[in-house]
Amino acid sequence: MMALATPQIDFAAIEARERVSTKKKWPSLIVAALVSMIWVVPFYYMAVSIFKTHPEYTANNPLSLPEGLSPIIDNAISAWNTAKMGMGLANSAMYGLIGAALAVFFAAMAAYGLSRIDFKRQNFWFMLIFSGTIFPFQIYLIPLFFAYQKVGIINTHFGMLLFYTAVCIPFPVLVLRNYLNGLSREMDEAARMDGASEFRVFWSIILPNCIGPMTATFLLQFTWIWNDLLFSTVLGNRDDVRSIMNSLQIFHGSYTTAGPNLSLTAALIASLPAIVLFLLLRRHFMEGMRVTGL
Amino acid sequence: MEATHISRFGVGDKVKQETDIQLMERIGWHQVKAVEDRAMRRNFWKAFAFMSPAIVLVCGLLLMPVVYNIYFSFTKWKKFAGLDEFAGLSNYAKLPGNPYFDEAFYNTAIWVAASVVFPLAIGFGLAVFLRGVPMGNIFKNIIFLPRILAPTAVAVIWFHVYAPHGVLNSLLGMAAGRPVDIGWLYQDNTVTPAIIATFVWQSVGLVMVLVLLGLSAIPKDPLEAARIDGATSGQVFRHIVMPLLLPTLVVVTILSVLSGFTTFDLLWVMGVGYPGQRTLSLAVYMYFESFQKGAWAFGSAIAVIIGIVVFSVTWIQTVMQSRVDKMTR
Amino acid sequence: MNFKTKLFSLAFAGLMSVSVVSAYAGDVTLVHDKPFWAEALQKVADAETKATGVPMKQNPYSPPEQYKAYMQSSIAANDPPDIFTWWTGGVYEELIKTGAIADLDDVWVDLIKSGEFSEGVRDFYKVGDHIYGVPLHLSRWIVLYNKADYAKAGISEPKDWAEFVANAEKLKAAGITPFVATTQDGWRGFIWFEEIMLRTNPEAYMGLHTGKVTYDSEPVRNAFKIWADWYAKGYFSDPRSTEEVADFAKNKGAMNLIGDWAIGLVEKAGMKPGTDFGAFIMPNMDAAMPSSTILEGSPIMLSVKGKAKPEVVNALKYFVSVDGANVWAAASGNALGNAKANPPNDIVKKINADVAAMKTVSFPRWWEAVPADLQGELVAELNRFMLTPTMETAESVMANAQKLNAAHWADKQ
Repeated sequence: MMALATPQIDFAAIEARERVSTKKKWPSLIVAALVSMIWVVPFYYMAVSIFKTHPEYTANNPLSLPEGLSPIIDNAISAWNTAKMGMGLANSAMYGLIGAALAVFFAAMAAYGLSRIDFKRQNFWFMLIFSGTIFPFQIYLIPLFFAYQKVGIINTHFGMLLFYTAVCIPFPVLVLRNYLNGLSREMDEAARMDGASEFRVFWSIILPNCIGPMTATFLLQFTWIWNDLLFSTVLGNRDDVRSIMNSLQIFHGSYTTAGPNLSLTAALIASLPAIVLFLLLRRHFMEGMRVTGL
Repeated sequence: MEATHISRFGVGDKVKQETDIQLMERIGWHQVKAVEDRAMRRNFWKAFAFMSPAIVLVCGLLLMPVVYNIYFSFTKWKKFAGLDEFAGLSNYAKLPGNPYFDEAFYNTAIWVAASVVFPLAIGFGLAVFLRGVPMGNIFKNIIFLPRILAPTAVAVIWFHVYAPHGVLNSLLGMAAGRPVDIGWLYQDNTVTPAIIATFVWQSVGLVMVLVLLGLSAIPKDPLEAARIDGATSGQVFRHIVMPLLLPTLVVVTILSVLSGFTTFDLLWVMGVGYPGQRTLSLAVYMYFESFQKGAWAFGSAIAVIIGIVVFSVTWIQTVMQSRVDKMTR
Repeated sequence: MNFKTKLFSLAFAGLMSVSVVSAYAGDVTLVHDKPFWAEALQKVADAETKATGVPMKQNPYSPPEQYKAYMQSSIAANDPPDIFTWWTGGVYEELIKTGAIADLDDVWVDLIKSGEFSEGVRDFYKVGDHIYGVPLHLSRWIVLYNKADYAKAGISEPKDWAEFVANAEKLKAAGITPFVATTQDGWRGFIWFEEIMLRTNPEAYMGLHTGKVTYDSEPVRNAFKIWADWYAKGYFSDPRSTEEVADFAKNKGAMNLIGDWAIGLVEKAGMKPGTDFGAFIMPNMDAAMPSSTILEGSPIMLSVKGKAKPEVVNALKYFVSVDGANVWAAASGNALGNAKANPPNDIVKKINADVAAMKTVSFPRWWEAVPADLQGELVAELNRFMLTPTMETAESVMANAQKLNAAHWADKQ
């Protein structure tokens, strides 16, 4: 932070200047609108295509308005059944909710151990856990693929949950540990002197105070799990275990004969939960960005 | 512990110069330390109990695989056989000069560079530009929206945008007045730029939001004061805004580099029609070698190479970041 | 809801979901990688369930490389699926060498005795002294043609090569694109390559697969010259299309060189076999050479563990029985070589008659015959040619293909 000598500032004049400058910026509004078109067009394209039948789609310009609204029902039913989206959505929901929740909980426990209890070589243990994030995913694929086969958990819900939980632990540990380091120790010292066990201190005092960063990291990790394609393809590719993105990719890859209107409908169905979540919890998402130390 | 401090108890005229060892014995330092050590050890096990689920999961599913991957890369493992045959460095020797590997390496370098530079430049520009635009929040939300979509969904949408009879060609056709039929995802010189464009489309929103957060965290007073002092906007920007933003930008860069190396979803879904799909990046090449050809040992070697490259780049960046931190302190 | 309650309900939900027992235990499950046949296979499975009382299901995997990886790893873990589909050729032999596959000699004794299958079909699945598979489908690669287009151009089924090429020119003159050919799904690049090789130099075609003929030799170059020439004349439709069947059904081209399993798909897309479209076997360049066709016959195989279960063997037997074959033919338009079953459609009936009349010889498909390691990379090179079909690309494709080919055969020494 720079310390500057601040002479008397005429706030009123500044405000007046700001208001005037905003008014002059209407042309920039038009520019902004044009620029944001680049982001709007693909969404618009998706929106009009899901209402078209396949012949209708091929006959007209891809950006043309649909002739009617009824095809969406057929498209949705077709995509849902052929791509087994119900199964995919349920699987991803389960993996995301349980995996992210468990990961954040275990991370909170580890962060508590790392920041609230004094012991030697804390940094070593922290780096051990955090080193889970520094390797590119490719390096996990082959060993996990074969280990899962050997142990018999490949293509199982349990196997997927196990992996998702493990991979979502390191980052929350970083965030929560930093956060806990900033929390004052008075409360837990008091509780400890009152005779509370470590676990009680953790459960009743620390956890409730971490709801903010825990929710933020939960949302981030839930989104990561929801979006995963690679690990579901490699570790859980059976049709009753697949994640939603895996189902979407298979649908898009093998059924491209079915037409863009179907693939786009499927993409929309697969994305709806994330969009809804975002709109409802926008604040927490932004909080998530902030809290992760950026 | 060879301490060099003087005994605290030597005050006044009768300063008694005792050695550190005598002092420690007098105050019972060793006994205190022994008690403390026991407490620390007890604490360690308490802490370990809290850390154990995390440690077990991370070691078992993330760290052990790395060790095994390195081991596999030194075997002759292929398809159904050869796991126990030692191959020395032969898998690695096969890499340089292999046309697919070379091309994948080159494309990955392009990807990483592009995935750092473009989102940063465009995101930054948009942030600065949209700050002063009325109703700016609407535009910011629109540009951020793609970020919450999964890369797979974005890839499916853009696959059709780039299709020969898709959105881009029809827009170009309307502009040019005649039908445009470019196979964006099928040609050597357009496939990587096209997919990079999609990547930028999706990630710009995040950079923009982060820069906006950074910009709004800069207190207005110094800016106003500087302007009153006669500084031009350019100078204000260069000397006040940028240094305060630098930490944010550095972190964004590090994240972009890592994601540039491991991008898989976009390339796998959008590159499906491109014959040279396996060369689009090292990550995709590794997948094809391992899972399409069953060359497990070779694939492991590629994964190790990716790991080493990522490591080095991240290490360089972390060093740079600590330097930046020192600069802005 | 306070935090503790949230936590416990999540944990409870987790335990509940993890304890869900797989619905596949106890059933016979056919594992395969052809999702476009999932519905049809389920119909056969349902008929089998009715016939034998043991529930049968089918489980599709996608994409094929994930399916192959799944098979490799499940064999490595000593837990292969009981009954599954595969391919013939190099990957067939690889799988058999692992020792995890059961031989089906006893099943075949019955099949031959009943007169339902010929020894020729049986030997298609022989490796060494034993037979390891039964047909999932036996398909010949033929040229489907749009009858309306032929009428418009005033042409009929070609009797020889000259007529075949002349027909293409007449179609072009009538404003119709002669051939539909795409790179859809990434595997189709070899289709025209193998056909042109077969028609011009079958010996060289077979030599490619044993390493005796190189990919940059004259026979291959000649094939590419013909292929590139036809592209230059505008005989082919847009290769980038991702909907080959739909393209043919919508008349983006008059002919489609494909396996006869596509007849069912074209019918679903709206053309009636026999009335709207027909088929013929492409003639050879040299009329003196015997009539030949590419034959494709994906096998159904049993693992050793699967063969030990009587319900699995019964499911297999049902599939290739007359009843099973008829259900399969009706559901998918595929034949599997059972002489006593109904031909799935008029076109196959007609081709069968042609084959008998011309004493057509069968050749293996490039996809199976090529060494397994080279399959993915070589077909990618052929796709590359289709997207930029010039002789310049052809030379580079041939050079790359030969480099890989040479490295493979050198390794084998």
